[in-house]
Amino acid sequence: MAMRAYCSIAAFVVALPLAAQHGRYLNDSQHPFIGKPEAIAAGAKLFSASCGGCHGPDGSGGRGPNLVRRALWHPLGDEAIFQVIRKGVPGADMPPTNLTDDQTWSVVAFIHALTGPAVDQKVAGDAVAGKQVFASAGCANCHAIRGEGGRLAPDLSNIGGSRPFGVIRESILEPSKDLFYLGNEGIALTLKDGRKLEGIARNRSNYSVQVLDKNGDLHLLKMSDIKEMALRANSPMPGDYGKRLSPEQLRDLLSYLANQSLR
Amino acid sequence: MVYMRNCFLILASAATLAAQVKYEDILQGPRANWVTYAGNYQGWRYSPLNQITAANAGTIVPKWVYHVPDSRGLRSSPLVYDGVLYITNTNSIYAVDARTGRQIWQWADPKAKRQGVNRGSAILGNKVYFTTADNYLVALDRRSGGVIFSKKFGDETKGTTSTSAPLAVKDKIIVGSAGGDSGTRGSITALSAEDGHELWRTYTVPARGEPGSETWGDLIEWGGGAAWLSGTYDPELNSLFWTTGNPWPDFAGATRKGDNLYTCSLLSLDLDTGKMKWHFQFTPHDTHDWDAQSWPVLVDTEIRGKQRKVVLHANRNGFFYALDRVTGEFLRATQLIDNVTWAKGIDDKGRPIEIPGQEPTPEGNWVCPSVKGATNWMGQSFNPNTGLLYVITLEQCGRYNMSSQTPKPMSNFSGGGATEEGGQVIVRALDTKTGRRVWEYPMTGAGRMWTGTVSTAGGVLFTGDDDGHFIALDAKSGKNLWHFNMGELSTASPIAYSVDGKQYVAIASATSVFAFGLFEPAEPVTAPVITVLK
Repeated sequence: MAMRAYCSIAAFVVALPLAAQHGRYLNDSQHPFIGKPEAIAAGAKLFSASCGGCHGPDGSGGRGPNLVRRALWHPLGDEAIFQVIRKGVPGADMPPTNLTDDQTWSVVAFIHALTGPAVDQKVAGDAVAGKQVFASAGCANCHAIRGEGGRLAPDLSNIGGSRPFGVIRESILEPSKDLFYLGNEGIALTLKDGRKLEGIARNRSNYSVQVLDKNGDLHLLKMSDIKEMALRANSPMPGDYGKRLSPEQLRDLLSYLANQSLR
Repeated sequence: MVYMRNCFLILASAATLAAQVKYEDILQGPRANWVTYAGNYQGWRYSPLNQITAANAGTIVPKWVYHVPDSRGLRSSPLVYDGVLYITNTNSIYAVDARTGRQIWQWADPKAKRQGVNRGSAILGNKVYFTTADNYLVALDRRSGGVIFSKKFGDETKGTTSTSAPLAVKDKIIVGSAGGDSGTRGSITALSAEDGHELWRTYTVPARGEPGSETWGDLIEWGGGAAWLSGTYDPELNSLFWTTGNPWPDFAGATRKGDNLYTCSLLSLDLDTGKMKWHFQFTPHDTHDWDAQSWPVLVDTEIRGKQRKVVLHANRNGFFYALDRVTGEFLRATQLIDNVTWAKGIDDKGRPIEIPGQEPTPEGNWVCPSVKGATNWMGQSFNPNTGLLYVITLEQCGRYNMSSQTPKPMSNFSGGGATEEGGQVIVRALDTKTGRRVWEYPMTGAGRMWTGTVSTAGGVLFTGDDDGHFIALDAKSGKNLWHFNMGELSTASPIAYSVDGKQYVAIASATSVFAFGLFEPAEPVTAPVITVLK
């Protein structure tokens, strides 16, 4: 079980190196609806009725694109989203709308909030119960929050203060979805002197590798010291937390994580 | 699934990180590691490494370069512990492999309410500490970069910001405040290394009614005296030595008649309580922005035939001081640069003998040294083998103007302004016994460099020059041994460290960390057998 726990939750791996992975806007609008709770609530209703069918109720995508986890090279500004809602995307399935300016800006405000840090969003669930889930489900074996927990997987002390809710949720349910970058790569090594080592490659080149082992200790290795290297194609975090956790547990865990903010 | 079933965890490298930094490790000074801003508590920036010598310095080559993301004008001096180098930037910190320059982790606080320079970090136990520009002390796990705490210690809404590397001593992290050019009340604060809670705070400007407040006027609450550079520590005396910045408004002295204690001063504080043991003011009633920020260097040396515990200080005002660090007694001051026009010298009590008419005026007044000072915060170094203190000096004058506007705190109002015109940077080696120059190394350039120094047991002094080169000088003679064009000016101080028995010297340029070492032929790298597990 210890090993199982070790292998668990080694990912919110879509983490620090790709800070803009969730597609935060390049230029936030100064429109008064942005950040205004009433506008966001109104926008949520409109989104649910008109947009959620294709983009998913939480913006995580479906027939339409994922609005939360956008590619680094395709960030959208508030104004651009306004225009897309108003005019649609010619040649694609996204139709134009007849929403008023205020209605459209309400939807923009909702999408803006959706892609902002989770701590700024209204999140359902019991954070206190979520803390217990964090411990009992094995998350803390690999992830730390304010120095408590494992060091192998990304630190979650500021996860709610830095990541959108949808990204956190997706990282739990589908941890390998966007894994392919250096920094949280599962690795097992056999050195030329016969010794073995396992953990996460925090960095790897053809010449050296920097490994955090399961105890959270660093090993700085030259490639010429290594005989065999096994790399995991998937996240070391199990992909079955959607089954392991009940909907209530997941909701509470998300509430707890959404509240993890250093500011 | 063999991969995850067999968790053999074996120390696999010479650079395996299992130990942690103890107070005693910092106390013994740098060896392979460099674990405090100035190298040791005495502020020497001296490394006992001797693999690179004056004889072989000609074969120094760059080993790696690490570009610090989003950087511009880096001020940070790295730390190194067990093969990992830590470098800071504004509201961010990076850990890189000290042999290869490969990044291990990074951490940034995008919600910081201010931007500003950062001069480095501290390390104690398994925590690396640095401060954000809006006054949070952030402690991170040195191995993973995970946050252990982030604790606010200063109020940015009252003009306080933070730029210096913290100082870790025993169970305390000492931080100083910045922001003195726009109105603030300077302070030096001890925070718990464990959780960041405040243990004591000593203000550098007295409160109204306290002793010293009679040296101020109505603006005492915003008097400045920022403590924006790391201090030094004497373990025998259990004393911290910390310098303070200019009074505010910088160039308009009429609103603050008096000496303006304890600005432009050196303070000796009790480590346990923060109580001021003594103070010495270099520039009473400063009107030229001559902060006292070059750090106090602690040496034991003979002065006028008597062995003394001395604190040395090269000041922006143009003079090089020696004080008794037990009592604060003034021992000596010599002229640091050639062009000093505001004072004839320093009297027997340590007070400048001022020449009348040198204050800033509405029309402008030509004074030497310039506002940048005869030296500044760039790191000086003391080499116990040569007995020399190496100081970056600047021969430069400037025009000082005074504004007649009513001072308004926190509005970027400094009471006037000053120009920096021409000038020449000169490295000067000063005899710590006499204060006299032993050699000097003049530079070409525009008088813009801010590079510090490190000296080594190999008899080499490393610094940058005013053209963007990193250079090695013979510590005894000042003879140039080697140079390398970094492509941009450095505004930081170098360090020396070793990993796997190989000596490196590292420095931040404006945007990158460069590490240098002796030339070795490249080894071909044979790739291991790689398998990918689905």
